[in-house]
Amino acid sequence: MHMPMLSLCDVTKDYESDGQRVRALAGVTLDVEAGQFVTLVGRSGCGKSTLLNLAGAMDFPTTGEVRIDGTSTSGLADAALTRIRRDKVGFVFQSFQLLHTLSVIENVELPLLFAGQPNARDAARERLQWVELDGLGERLPHQLSGGQMQRVAIARALVHAPKILLADEPTGNLDTVTGNVILALLRRLTREHHTSLLMATHNVEATELADVVVRMRDGKIEAMGRP
Amino acid sequence: MPMARLFYRLMLRPLFREPVRTALTVLGIALGVAVVLAIDLAGNAAAGSFRSSMETLSGDNNLEITGAGGIPEALVGMVAALPYALRVSPRIEDFAVVHDSKQTLPLIGMDLIGEAGSFPAAMQESQEGQHGNDSNVFLAGCAKSASHAEARTDEQDTTLSCLVDPASIWVGASLGRKAGERVALLINDREQDYIVRGVYPDMNGAESAIVMDIAAAQRAVGRTGRVDRILIKTPAQGNLDEWEQRLRGVLPTGVEVRPQGAGTQENRQMLAAFRWNLMLLSYVSLIVGAFLIYNTISVSVVRRRPEIGIVRALGASRGLVLGAFLGESASFGVIGTLLGLPLGRLMAVGTVKLMGVTVKALYVSSRPGSIELSPASVALAFAVGVGVVLISAYAPAREASFVAPAQAMARGRREYEVRVHSTREVLAALVFAVAAAAASRAPAIAGKPLFGYLAALFLIVACALAIPAFVAAVMRAASQWLRRALGAEGLLASRSLRASLRRTSVLVAALATAVAMMVSIGIMVGSFRETVIAWMDEQLPADLYIRPAGDPATDRHPTISPEMVAAIAKLPGVAAIDRLRAYEIAFEGRPAMLGGADLSMYRTGRAIYRTNARSEFFSGRPSAEVFRDLRGSNNVIVSEPFASKHHLKTSDNITLALGESRAQFHILDVYYDYTSERGEILMDRETLLRYLPDPAPSNMAVYVADGAQVENVRSEIAQAAAGHRLLIFSDRQIRGEAIRIFDRTFAITYALEAVAVLVAVIGIAGALLALVIDRRRELGLMRFLGATSQQVRNLILVEAGLLGLLANVAGVVLGYFLSLVLIFVINKQSFGWTIRFHWPVAVLLGGLSFVYAATIVSGLYPAKMAVQLNPLEILHED
Repeated sequence: MHMPMLSLCDVTKDYESDGQRVRALAGVTLDVEAGQFVTLVGRSGCGKSTLLNLAGAMDFPTTGEVRIDGTSTSGLADAALTRIRRDKVGFVFQSFQLLHTLSVIENVELPLLFAGQPNARDAARERLQWVELDGLGERLPHQLSGGQMQRVAIARALVHAPKILLADEPTGNLDTVTGNVILALLRRLTREHHTSLLMATHNVEATELADVVVRMRDGKIEAMGRP
Repeated sequence: MPMARLFYRLMLRPLFREPVRTALTVLGIALGVAVVLAIDLAGNAAAGSFRSSMETLSGDNNLEITGAGGIPEALVGMVAALPYALRVSPRIEDFAVVHDSKQTLPLIGMDLIGEAGSFPAAMQESQEGQHGNDSNVFLAGCAKSASHAEARTDEQDTTLSCLVDPASIWVGASLGRKAGERVALLINDREQDYIVRGVYPDMNGAESAIVMDIAAAQRAVGRTGRVDRILIKTPAQGNLDEWEQRLRGVLPTGVEVRPQGAGTQENRQMLAAFRWNLMLLSYVSLIVGAFLIYNTISVSVVRRRPEIGIVRALGASRGLVLGAFLGESASFGVIGTLLGLPLGRLMAVGTVKLMGVTVKALYVSSRPGSIELSPASVALAFAVGVGVVLISAYAPAREASFVAPAQAMARGRREYEVRVHSTREVLAALVFAVAAAAASRAPAIAGKPLFGYLAALFLIVACALAIPAFVAAVMRAASQWLRRALGAEGLLASRSLRASLRRTSVLVAALATAVAMMVSIGIMVGSFRETVIAWMDEQLPADLYIRPAGDPATDRHPTISPEMVAAIAKLPGVAAIDRLRAYEIAFEGRPAMLGGADLSMYRTGRAIYRTNARSEFFSGRPSAEVFRDLRGSNNVIVSEPFASKHHLKTSDNITLALGESRAQFHILDVYYDYTSERGEILMDRETLLRYLPDPAPSNMAVYVADGAQVENVRSEIAQAAAGHRLLIFSDRQIRGEAIRIFDRTFAITYALEAVAVLVAVIGIAGALLALVIDRRRELGLMRFLGATSQQVRNLILVEAGLLGLLANVAGVVLGYFLSLVLIFVINKQSFGWTIRFHWPVAVLLGGLSFVYAATIVSGLYPAKMAVQLNPLEILHED
């Protein structure tokens, strides 16, 4: 039976805010196939980040079901959710989220260290080659440009060979040229390694590179299709 | 008012958002203040009790005539016959042990008939049910007894005979006895029954004593024909010095005339060094607290950089920013002090008990006085609480005032980082270390090792300055090893501690100071203990030791009846005995013990002191040789504390007032001695008897004959001593008892150490909480990168553990150097003891393990907080 890499089935997500219930997602259904590049577009607050959080096993849906590589996240304990993230999910953020106390290579190997995997350093070195930063491993993040920092973040997100990469406005803090380079890099790497890529973005170029564009509005999918 | 509102909104309100951290900071200050206050209050209470010990019934007299070993009774009549209107009150002063309660109380013999009109006001209070109009408690007690004696007709005679009855005693109300009750008292080595004739009010035990008529007291203590003191009330005209001179002119040369209460003054003076050292020790907790306040305000400044930028841009002056941060710290200080006051008062109760043990073991018999929270003590608490806080907060507050508005606003929130000038600080540390070395060589000032304390302070400063470089170097070297050993948590923890070097350094310095205090005192006490044990091995060669029953005290020397001594000496299993008679004397305004020891053993070839052991003398001469020269001459040997206190050395001469004469003595040598801090002068027993002919020894040593069993001889002595209350110890028992007392003596220092460590650990907990809050982005990110909640928890605990480890290492190094200052400078200049350095490895390992465990425990709550952080919210905020 065919199984999408990521599947959201009639998912709603409610938050409490100042005693009021706020619905962040309302009846979202979405499948992301292995190796597929899906962009989420829409205004700020439309639910893109919430959807990414659910897709990354960082949160539970209020109703509906999220399946990552066939495993439903509902009802899983913290340890099981962590295992899913460790094995199957990589994150890339708008503000890079590198740890400034660690060198570049140490940042990249961090997920493997958390997972207690051997040869973390070798894998990190290889990922730095993927993002064309080999030779900069001993530098500290503040010694890099914004584009280089995002490359490090991508290398880190891919270091444990995740099945799905979740990117939240990865070009939001970069200039257009650098942003496009990063998009191209993301697209190339996910394609080469058959990794699904779900990206929340305002970037038009990103939508043009995507296999599927999902347009969101007020927590719902307004439209979905090829760019 | 608007300013106050602004201060509340910008400075105080944020503190309520982190209630646990705020509470921990306040608690740290409260504990620091409480310890200082407790030591101050307890010190006052202990010092106050001296007055009440023998001065209980001294009344409004203003001069006293006294002499070593007492003075002849005939002098009472002589002084009374002088053509001046002097009021003369002779006293016998000793101690009695109440059989039932084992309580040791001053025994005061006074002329109950002659002094009827001059008793202190407290004694004049009429008691309910007392007979007639007589307002004197002593006369009333006897009159009451007489009225019950139906067979007697002459009530007045009966009253008088009751007063002078050798079995009549009067006791303080706190003893809980009633008139007519029988009480068994142990006086010297004899126990007898006495009848309570009256009870007097004694200020809740502060002035409790056993009172009897002077003639009865003379008999009870075996000093017939002598009195211990004559109290004099001089006429109003003429000043006291003139009266002192006038009396001195008519009295024998060996008799001393001095202002009444001089003994109390001597005691106070003697205790000054002890109190001074404890007081300074109590300030260590405050120093630890100061580091933590520095850290708290630094964190506050860093977190509020954007706010500082905004308020500066809106027109706030630098002074205002400085004032705001100092105000924030002052708030901590005021609240901490307010909490510290009742806490300190409470802690003073336990402290008095602990201090009492030390005072009694090393200085003087004392009963703690009442603890009074005086306005001066409250002022002291506020001065140290708020003062230390303001001083420690000044540097970060000043830094806040120099924040450039545009820069602060543009950069936004930044990590708690670092302008650590490692090289400069290491150089400064070296300068302070050299200054410490120089200060440690300077002499005492007015008997106080002020430069020693300065050396200790310099060492702490040097350590604090060197710690950033130390932490950076260790973390740099260890991070890869930690990564391999502890995984991501080890790597992140080591990097985080190094990245926030200033914060880490302050925490390590705070805990290291507390650890150093523990280590240095541990080494000092351990060294002292080992020295005493080694010394006892050399000093206790006899098989059995005998002294009168009762609680031992350094200033009480009850005696053994001479006939008892003779009987013991004649027992078949006894090869020889050695007698020591001790007297309390005053030498140059300080109390000291004068002893006369048998040196006869040298004549028979068996030494009192082992001749094969290390010489007990400064000169290094064999003991046998020194004792030979001591025999029968006006030579003395003096203890090290005595020589140190009075700046005396071998070959100096001292003049002692003994009996009725003053005699010069030659110091033959100085000997090591650890029995008391009071100082001792020792001479041949025969020499002592020439001046003070009372043959009763204070204690004796028994050498068992070859072939005789020690236990058998002990039993024989016990049988021979039936009717006498003597305690017989084997050398092993006496050693055990000495060490038990020794250990109890230092209990108070352990208590102070514990508080300093507690303050440091509280500070670590608060700082780790701040660290969790400041690094929540990193902690949240860890969850996105696949870290389990256990790994997040572990990260905080590893950081706590690393802080504890770094502090332990730095603390051991600092503590070692502090111990050298304590042992060879502060102790030597304060107390005059030579202590041989010794590492008490087991004690130190135990202490360090405890601190390490406590540090990790302090990370548990912050670690829990870290786990509870919501990574989604954090990353969303960011």
